[in-house]
Amino acid sequence: MAWRIRMTGLMLGALVLAGCAEGPEPAPLQVELYRAGQQAIAARTQARDTGTQPAPTRAFLDSLDVPVQEMVVERSNVVAYVIKHFDTRDNLPGQVQVWRTNDDFSIAMRNGVLISTRGFWGDLLSSEVQVSGFEPGPTHDGEHIQMILARDSREVPFAFGCELSDLGQETIEIVERRHTTRHIRQSCEGRKGPITNDYWIDRRRGLVMQSRQWAGPNIGYLRFRRLTD
Amino acid sequence: MRFVGILGGLFLLCAGAVQAQTPPSDPAREPELKRLPIPSLNFYGLPGLMDMPSGEMLPEGQFTTAFSYFGGQGRLTLAFQPTDWMTLGFRYVGISGFRGQSVRYDRNFDVRFRLLKETRRRPNVVLGLQDFAGTGLYSGEYLAATKSFTNLGWGARQLPGRVKATAGLGWGRLGTHGTLGVIGTRASFQPGGASQGGDLSYDQWFRGPVAAFAGLEWDVNDRLGVKVEYSSDAYPEEVQAGVFQRRSPFNFGVEYQWTRRTRLGAYYMYGAELGFSLQVQLNPYHPNVQTRLPAPYPVQPRPDPQIDPVAWSTEWTSSSAVVAPYLRDQLAPLLSDEGLLLEALDISAETAELQFRNLRYGANAVAIGRAARAMTRVLPASIEIFRLTLMSRGLPLSTVVIHRSDLEQLEFENFASDQMLVETRFTDPRPLSDAAVQAEDLYPSTSWSVAPYFTPGYFDPEQPFRLDVGVSLRGAYQPAPGWVIAGRINQRLFGNLDGGAASGSNLPPVRTDQAQYAQYGTTLNQLYGARYWKPAPDLYARVSAGYFEYGYGGLSTEVLWKPVNSRLALGAEANYALKRDFDQLFGFQDYRIATGHASAYYDFENGFLAQIDVGRYLAGDYGATFSVDRVFNNGWSVGGFFTRTNVSAAEFGEGSFDKGFRFRIPITWFRGSPSKRAVGTTIRPIQRDGGARLSVPGRLYNQVRGAHRNVLSEQWPRFWE
Repeated sequence: MAWRIRMTGLMLGALVLAGCAEGPEPAPLQVELYRAGQQAIAARTQARDTGTQPAPTRAFLDSLDVPVQEMVVERSNVVAYVIKHFDTRDNLPGQVQVWRTNDDFSIAMRNGVLISTRGFWGDLLSSEVQVSGFEPGPTHDGEHIQMILARDSREVPFAFGCELSDLGQETIEIVERRHTTRHIRQSCEGRKGPITNDYWIDRRRGLVMQSRQWAGPNIGYLRFRRLTD
Repeated sequence: MRFVGILGGLFLLCAGAVQAQTPPSDPAREPELKRLPIPSLNFYGLPGLMDMPSGEMLPEGQFTTAFSYFGGQGRLTLAFQPTDWMTLGFRYVGISGFRGQSVRYDRNFDVRFRLLKETRRRPNVVLGLQDFAGTGLYSGEYLAATKSFTNLGWGARQLPGRVKATAGLGWGRLGTHGTLGVIGTRASFQPGGASQGGDLSYDQWFRGPVAAFAGLEWDVNDRLGVKVEYSSDAYPEEVQAGVFQRRSPFNFGVEYQWTRRTRLGAYYMYGAELGFSLQVQLNPYHPNVQTRLPAPYPVQPRPDPQIDPVAWSTEWTSSSAVVAPYLRDQLAPLLSDEGLLLEALDISAETAELQFRNLRYGANAVAIGRAARAMTRVLPASIEIFRLTLMSRGLPLSTVVIHRSDLEQLEFENFASDQMLVETRFTDPRPLSDAAVQAEDLYPSTSWSVAPYFTPGYFDPEQPFRLDVGVSLRGAYQPAPGWVIAGRINQRLFGNLDGGAASGSNLPPVRTDQAQYAQYGTTLNQLYGARYWKPAPDLYARVSAGYFEYGYGGLSTEVLWKPVNSRLALGAEANYALKRDFDQLFGFQDYRIATGHASAYYDFENGFLAQIDVGRYLAGDYGATFSVDRVFNNGWSVGGFFTRTNVSAAEFGEGSFDKGFRFRIPITWFRGSPSKRAVGTTIRPIQRDGGARLSVPGRLYNQVRGAHRNVLSEQWPRFWE
C-alpha cells in the first residue's frame, strides 16, 4: 500500500514537474524553464517542417501596392521580405524609412542607407551616414559610424573612414524587371577592419534599387533588392 | 487595413526561410568584436598546466567550473574573474584513504593577482595564494610567468598553433619537490587550536621551502592541446598515506576543446597515475543563446501642427473623464503585447503619467523604451511630457521623464542612446492626481503556480551533496496596490536532506538543525502578508508578518532611503522572529528573538556592489556582514560575503565565522528569450549558527535598485532595442 501511495505521489509529482501558472505575477523559474523547453522543441519542429518557398513572381509583386524589399542575411542565407512601415524626417539630412517583416524584424534606412536594425540580436542601434537632401544612397566621402549593441547592454562603436567610387552604369534585373542603375561602391577602412557597401541607384526614380550593406559584426552583410516601388 | 491585408498576403511568402540563390560571402575579413583567448585550466581549476599554475588570467567575468581526478583525488573548483587582474576560486576536494578517513573532504579558497600584463616582449606574471584560508591541506603560494608564442618557428619551419611557456616559484605544497632554498619558518595548521579553520593563514604565506616549476602548453589548433610540466609538488603526506605513488615529477596531458565552453583532458600523472579533467567556462558577456527581442513598433510621429492643427487641440481635456479611460484601454493591450502591465494612467493637456509593471525584461530600460513608444501611438498630440513610473508590488520605484519631441527627433539620430540619456530625467515618483484612471480588474488580483522545487544541501562529510525535490504550490493575492498576501506549500517527493546530521553547537541551534525540518513531507513553507509603501520622498517601506521561511516567522519591518539618482542607499530592518515547529505547520517553538540590521549599500561605477549590514543576528550575536557582488547589466552577478560577530571562533565551531559566495545567472542567458528570472544559489563552506540572518521575502533594495538611474543608465542603449 505504501509503495502505491509513493508511486502515485511520484506520478503526480512528474505531472506537476512541468509546472503551470496563472495570474498577473511572472511565472516561477521552473515554469519559465519548462515553457522555454517547449518553445525550443516547437521551433526545431517548425524548422524541419518548412521547405524551400518559391520566389515571388512579378505578377504577384504587381498585385501589391506597398513598397517591398527583399532582404537577404548573407551569413545564414535567409531571405525575408520587408514592407515599408512609414517615412519620417528628423533634424538630420535625408528621409528615414522604417521597414518591417511580419515576424518582427525591422530595419531603418536614411535615403536607402541602412542606419539601424531591430529584432536581430546584437542590433545596429544607430548610425552616422553621409547622405544629403533626397539623393538616394551615400553622397560623399567621410565618416561612417555604426553603434552596435554588444557586451552586456553596451554600445560598441565601429567607426570607418569611407570613400565612394562610381563603378559605372549597370543594368540589373529584379524579378523579371530590368533597371538601369549606377553602381556606387563605398569602401570603408576602420580600426577593426574594412567593409565594403555597394549601392545600385536608379537616379531617375530616386531609389536605391539594390544594395549590399554591413549591419555590424553580429549580423554581417545584408543584401536588399527593391521589389516594388 | 490595407497594410494588414498586404501583410496577410505576404505571410505565406515570409512563413519560412527561403534559400537565396547567391552563396554567402567569406566573412573572414569583416570587422569583429574581439574575444580574448581563454586559457585552459589545471587540476586546481585555475589557468595552468596540470598540477601547476600558469601566469595567465581568465578574461574578465569568466565563471568556470572544473572537475579533475587522479590518484584517488577529486577536485571540483568554481572560479570567477571579477576584474581583469584578479581571479577567485572555491574548491571542494575529496581524497580517498587519507588522514584516517575513507574519503577526506576539504574546502579551499584561492586568489590570484596579475602583476604584469603580457606584451610582445614580456610575459604575463601572476601571484597566487592557494587554499589561503582553510585547514591548509592544499596551501601553497606561487609566482608564475607565462609567455605565449604564435606560429613559433626556426628557419623555414613553423610550429602551427600557439605555444605557451610557463615557469614559476612555489611555496608550501608547491615547494616540496626540488627545493631551492628555505625562507623563514612556515607555521602549520593546528587542528583543534584557537583557529577552527577559515581564518587567513598569513603566517604561512611565502614561507618555508621554495621550489621551481615549469611547463609547456601547445595548442596545436583550436581543438587540440598538449601539455607537459615539471611539478614541484612532492605530495609527501599523500604518498606516505599510500593515496598514490609518485614516481616522477613530470606530467603529460592531452586536452580537447569539445565545445566553445567545454574542454576535456586526459593525463599521465607523476609516472604512475592516469587522470582526467572536465572544464566548463562561461562568460556573462557571451550568452549561451543570443537573445532576440521582437522589433518594437517605432515612435509614431505626430502630424505637423501647421498642417493638422486639430490633432494638436487640447479640447479633449474638457471631456477627459471619458477620454482617459478610453486611452487607458487603447494603451493597455499595446503594453501587454510587450510584456508590460498598465497599472494606472494620469493625463492632462500636456503630461501623461503611466504607472506600469515590467513582467518580461531583465533590463528595465527595455521596458521603459517600449512603453514610451507605445504611448506615442495612443496619446493625443498635445501631450508632450511622458512620465513613466515603474511599479513593483504596488510600490512606485522611480519615474523616468521623457519629452515626446525627443523621442521623435532622436530615434534615428547618430548616437541615439547617448542623446536620449542626456535628455531623460530620473526622479522620485510622485502621487498621481485625482483624475488618474486605474487599470480595471487589476485589483484584487490572484496569481498561483504549481512548480517543482529543489533544495540542495552542501558539504556534509557523510554525503557531500544532498538534495530534496518536490512540488510547490504558490499563491499570491493582492487586494489593493501595495498589499500582498502570499503563501507556499511544499510537498517533498524524494530526497535525502532528512539524513543530514545535526551538528552540535555552542550557540542556540538557529540553522544547524535544518535536518530536523527536513523530516516532514508536506509543509507550509511561507504564508505572510506584506504592505509596501512610500512614506516620503526617497523613502520606501515594508511591513511583513507571517511565516517567512522554513525556520522562522514573525514580524519584519524595513525602511530604505534611496534617492533615484544616488549610488548610496541606507536601510534599516527590525524583526521579531519566532522559531517555527519542525513540522512547519502553524506552531512555533519557544525560541524568539529580536533581530535587525542597519544597512549601507553602494553601487560603484565599475559593476561592483558593496553592502554592509550591522546588527543582531538570529542566535543573538552582534556583528556585521560585509558583501561585495560583481553585477552585470544583463543580470549576472557573482559575489561573496563574510560575517564577523561577537562569537569567538571556538564558540562558532568549524570555519570560525560565517562566509560564503553566491551567484545568479539570468535564464535569458541560456534560453535566448526575455525573462526576469534567474538561477543561482548561495554556497557556504559550512553552515553554523553564528552570523545567521532571517530570510524575509520581498526585501526592498533589490526591487528598487533596478529602476534607479545608475542601473538604467548603464543599460540605456537597450532603451531603443
